[in-house]
Amino acid sequence: MLRWSGAVLALMLVASGWLVIQSPLDAMQGVIQKILYVHVPCAFASYAGFFVTALGSGLYLWKREDRYDRLALAGAEVGVVFCTLTLLSGPIWAKGTWGQWWVWDPRLTVTLLLWFLYLAYLLLRSFTEGSERTARFAAVYGLMGATAIPLNYYAIELFGGAAMHPDNLERGSLGQGMGLPFLMSVLTGLVAVWYLVVARLDLENLRVQSAARLGGYPRT
Amino acid sequence: MRVAAAIFWKDLLIEWRSRDRIVAMLLFSLLTVMVFHFSLPGGATAQTQAMAPGLLWIAYVFSALFGLGRSFSLELENDALSGLALAPTDRGWILLGKVAANLVILGVAQAVTALVFALVFDLSLLPVAPALAGIVVLGSLGLCTVGTFFSAIAVQTRFREVMLPLLLLPVLWPLLSAAVRATTALLAGEPVPSEAIQLLIVSDATYLIVSFLSFDFILDD
Repeated sequence: MLRWSGAVLALMLVASGWLVIQSPLDAMQGVIQKILYVHVPCAFASYAGFFVTALGSGLYLWKREDRYDRLALAGAEVGVVFCTLTLLSGPIWAKGTWGQWWVWDPRLTVTLLLWFLYLAYLLLRSFTEGSERTARFAAVYGLMGATAIPLNYYAIELFGGAAMHPDNLERGSLGQGMGLPFLMSVLTGLVAVWYLVVARLDLENLRVQSAARLGGYPRT
Repeated sequence: MRVAAAIFWKDLLIEWRSRDRIVAMLLFSLLTVMVFHFSLPGGATAQTQAMAPGLLWIAYVFSALFGLGRSFSLELENDALSGLALAPTDRGWILLGKVAANLVILGVAQAVTALVFALVFDLSLLPVAPALAGIVVLGSLGLCTVGTFFSAIAVQTRFREVMLPLLLLPVLWPLLSAAVRATTALLAGEPVPSEAIQLLIVSDATYLIVSFLSFDFILDD
């Protein structure tokens, strides 16, 4: 699975890289618009990672099987990386187009919240002793975080500042010839999550196996 | 239900006999207000009064972080936590009992903090006191629910004092934004936006239900 997904990812990286280079320059924003071919896939990837974590957490609490806990952990570790990249690439684009590094609009605030939730989740896992207790607490926190996200989105929709963040692609905000590169980049981002989660799962499985063989605690 | 009432009474009784949490929370709140006063130059101007609701809620959250941690750490002595876990009841009721007790203790600290705020920032709270109390209760209900829930988690980890704020603060965002909005409108003499109350109620209900149902997993040792 790992090699196969790695091969697919490599192909897609090459394909989307080529498409992005070929894509036309935005009339108003110029070359800085191309950051979005990185930023948007990273955002989707971080949401996908969160989904994997929430799924793993829910399944673990239901079935109490360790592999779901490992899935949740893999999702969180991959998700936090992509979330960080999203939060770094976005402001670079924003400074170039809006003239501001940051605004407190719904999507940005929720992404920042997601980042904090990821970090708190990973810290909770580091500071809890005992693998079963860690898995339990992390799963509960993962689910609690999953409820906080829509609540926060609702909160900001109710009060938040003007939505500066661009609307979804469906609204026709993309220029000519940008559709395919965008689609390819987003798909590449999702395949990257898949590949990295599988790789992390493999690593975690190896760690658990080797710890069991050595007779020690599998430390997550 | 009776379990919740019993836990509620027990926690309040413990607190009344030692009064350590309430004193620490009160002192901490007062010190926070002093820090706010010194960090905002110019004293009670219109600008600082505009910031007062936000600062008030910051003071409330910080004193809650202080006091909620103790809520479960007192159960660590003599392995009382295991005793609670073995109680033949839905464990969510244990959480509710503790939430209720924390609400009362925090409420006392919050009332005194509000008074001091009114003095330091030259606010007139008396005409809006009932409405303010209502908003503070709504906000504190959510705060105490998730705070107590996460304190149960934090107390079973290393670095428990650090864990509670890290776990709690992100989850509090929606609640805090609604509470501050409502308080700002109230103190400015404007009608409180119904969306704020709506969000407070929705957040409280969500957190209560999710915490009640998941508390089983927290005491599972």
